[in-house]
Amino acid sequence: MRKTKKIVVIALLVSLGLVLHLVESFFPLTVLIPGAKLGLANIVSVIAISLFGFASAFQVVIFRVILGSLLAGTFMTINFYLSFSGAVFSFFMMFITYKLFKGKLSLIGISIIGAVAHNAAQITAAYFIISNQGIFYYLPFLILLALPTGFSVGLVSYFTLHYLPFSINRS
Amino acid sequence: MKINDIITFYDKILISIIIIASLVMLIFPLFILGSKENEKLYLLVQQNNDIVKEIPLADSYEEPIIFKVEGPIGIHTIEVTNGRVRVKEAPINDPLKICEKTGWIDREGPIIICVPNKLSIWIESDNSDIDGMSW
Repeated sequence: MRKTKKIVVIALLVSLGLVLHLVESFFPLTVLIPGAKLGLANIVSVIAISLFGFASAFQVVIFRVILGSLLAGTFMTINFYLSFSGAVFSFFMMFITYKLFKGKLSLIGISIIGAVAHNAAQITAAYFIISNQGIFYYLPFLILLALPTGFSVGLVSYFTLHYLPFSINRS
Repeated sequence: MKINDIITFYDKILISIIIIASLVMLIFPLFILGSKENEKLYLLVQQNNDIVKEIPLADSYEEPIIFKVEGPIGIHTIEVTNGRVRVKEAPINDPLKICEKTGWIDREGPIIICVPNKLSIWIESDNSDIDGMSW
């Protein structure tokens, strides 16, 4: 992929992630389990990981989290640290598993790992902030919910990549 | 295209491991908790590492107890009625209002959390085998 084209694709993925993050708030899963969400923005992370190398894919994730918090007005607040820890940790886990088990795990497996890692990181970050171990009560519920959401996110990413014209000749 | 063309054998292993692990985490606390005879339940409110309120739930059956707790981003209104507790009103500055959406809790286990306000509200039994802090 040429450099200009790559910058355009990164910018598109960041803005797609922001919109998906907004769409996500229309589905209030947090009524079921506190802190639960669909993780639709993870679609762009999964796509970025399979399209680019580490640096560009990481850019997509970082820009999405920072711009998203600036739009929501939560930049540098506790909410920002929570979403930052979740997004960055799940990105690292997905990137490592993608590199290590590329032929073995499909994008569905990668995205499930990302969803579980996101929950684990966020609960741990929240634990350090409120210092109450009772918060881990919700972790198994969140992880069980991460399976269907991670599965769908992986499936959507798979089909999206399938139809992207530039996914055939990767960078 | 069928789903079996996309999902791999290792994906299925991963999914099974995660299901088993989370079920174990779900079932394990049930052996320790579970309601016992003659237990006395207490409501505990923690804000920024300090227990700011401790109320026996038995006190709430006569008339509702409503009190406020202040944190960095605002004031929470907490309601205790008939052995149940909820956050009646979260601060306006709380963007997600998770504590309010959690609704009522009436037993050991579930916990109401407001991370931006460093607030947690939970119920503890006096004859619990374990320290309530570690479910």
